[in-house]
Amino acid sequence: MTRTTLRAGLTTALLTVATSLSAQQVDTSRIAELERRMEALSREIERLGLGRDVVEADTSILGLGPAASKVYKLSQGVSIGGYGEILYENFADERQDGSASGGRNVADALRAIVYFGYKFDDRILFNSEIEIEHADEAYLEFAYVDYSLTDRVGVRAGLLLAPLGLVNELHEPPAFLDTKRSVTESRIIPTTWRENGIGLFGTGDDFAWRVYVMNSLSGAGFNASGLRGGRQKGSQALAESLGLAGRLDYVGTPGLMIGASGFRGSTGQARELGGQEVEGPLTIWDLHADYEARGFDLRALVAGARVGDADRLNQLNGLAGANGIGEEMLGWYVEGGYDVLSRTGAGARLLPFVRYEKVNTQSAVATGYTVDPATELSVLSLGMAWKPIPQVVAKLAYQVHDNAASTAVNQWNVQLGWLF
Amino acid sequence: MALALPALAPWTPGPAARASAQTLTQEEALHLAFPEADSVRRRTAYLTDAQRVRAADLAGPEAEPTPGVVPYYVAVKGTSPVGAAYFDAHRVRTLREVLMIVVGTDARIRRIEVVRFAEPPEYAPPAGWLSQFRERALDADLSSKRGIAGITGATLTARAVTAAVRRVLALHEVIRPFDGGGP
Repeated sequence: MTRTTLRAGLTTALLTVATSLSAQQVDTSRIAELERRMEALSREIERLGLGRDVVEADTSILGLGPAASKVYKLSQGVSIGGYGEILYENFADERQDGSASGGRNVADALRAIVYFGYKFDDRILFNSEIEIEHADEAYLEFAYVDYSLTDRVGVRAGLLLAPLGLVNELHEPPAFLDTKRSVTESRIIPTTWRENGIGLFGTGDDFAWRVYVMNSLSGAGFNASGLRGGRQKGSQALAESLGLAGRLDYVGTPGLMIGASGFRGSTGQARELGGQEVEGPLTIWDLHADYEARGFDLRALVAGARVGDADRLNQLNGLAGANGIGEEMLGWYVEGGYDVLSRTGAGARLLPFVRYEKVNTQSAVATGYTVDPATELSVLSLGMAWKPIPQVVAKLAYQVHDNAASTAVNQWNVQLGWLF
Repeated sequence: MALALPALAPWTPGPAARASAQTLTQEEALHLAFPEADSVRRRTAYLTDAQRVRAADLAGPEAEPTPGVVPYYVAVKGTSPVGAAYFDAHRVRTLREVLMIVVGTDARIRRIEVVRFAEPPEYAPPAGWLSQFRERALDADLSSKRGIAGITGATLTARAVTAAVRRVLALHEVIRPFDGGGP
């Protein structure tokens, strides 16, 4: 090999190495740029998914510190939801005593509710439900403004749901098993009970509570079958008599809620008898428990009421004999179901259930009045609830009704319910 | 094959973050999750189609479809990882909830923080209820139909949180962030 040839070979080799090194530098630079772009895309995806205010660190706004300025960055806006139920009731031809029941089967668009809420900021929000009952009756079921004093305590004012029992505040059909609400939570706790008022609400790690001052029920609507007719529903409600309602629930064990609630207020609403105002003091109380875990759905409730001045309210309402308002009322029920699909991989739920209830809206009556045996009743309900998804339920139940007058009529029901 | 990216801005925990309910920033939530960590590194997993299918299978029918791009955060003390945090956004009723779900090196849940909850506060998951997820692993019992108790009056919240936990644990299983630095 000549020297010239060797020099040419070395030159070629050096050029090749130099070219290769240059290519590697370009590759490294391109990879770094691609990594930067992918990271930028990843962060943008995260911002879009979680929300920019979550991802970006606190910064001062309007001269406020991070904590104070946070309220300006929080998501605001409208919240929409709703629930409803269609109910078919098929009545037996005969009463308990064998006489003709006269019951006519009914298919009813019982409730359709649209929920609207608006979150003004992290402290103030508005909640409301607009309800259409029986397809042609419109109600404002509740409408209130919440103001959070702290993370755990707030003020609530407006048309409020009385915080009593299990169903009055939580009455979406998928939330309870039977096809109809219990009699106890219809006649003694007059679900859906809503009145105008103001109060406080709070939550802790183990407890939740609410205390409201509300316009009271009106004794003008009470009768032998209970307190349901006393609701004023926030519509030009007489507020001569106010009431205090509250509840305390233990929620420290997952799946379990156990608590008590009560109401105390006058119901006379400034009505007079013989020139004297009738006070009509009313006390309602309840103890309740709800447990949902491992496929089981169990609940129990006992509620009572005591109506003062019952005789005078009877006179004002024109009630006599066995039609008088009960001075004392008592009702209770137990309800249980089990999801037979809980051990399968199915997303749907199928819950056979049973509910047994006893109610007496005339446990005691005023002197001079008699008891209507039809007001002492029991209901045994056997049925099935099918939830293809958590928000939709179809139920079938057979109800065995019994009362001391032997006039009760059995029925079977089909209910379709939804919530969103 | 997932692609591992180096953390661009390692974050070092500072003073204890505020635990303001439902209004945490990501940074505050990470402070709460890893107070003992020396650093928290952001990573992103880019899942293949096969990995997405596997994650969906692991998550089960209760969970929504798994994403293909998964940012997550790995906390390190010394040279050892102490946990991974995932931020999961999902719909509860009509509005969204953002959770931070922290998974330990044993693939069990260490902590869940509600970062955002846009629904009315009465539907928010109580802290006592969330505690039942602690030390849970991805198994058949981790289900609102079995071992996870419900919330009275907030069924949809209970389902949404349970589904998010299953989804995150499934992604964690696929991503394996503690094996060789993660994807």
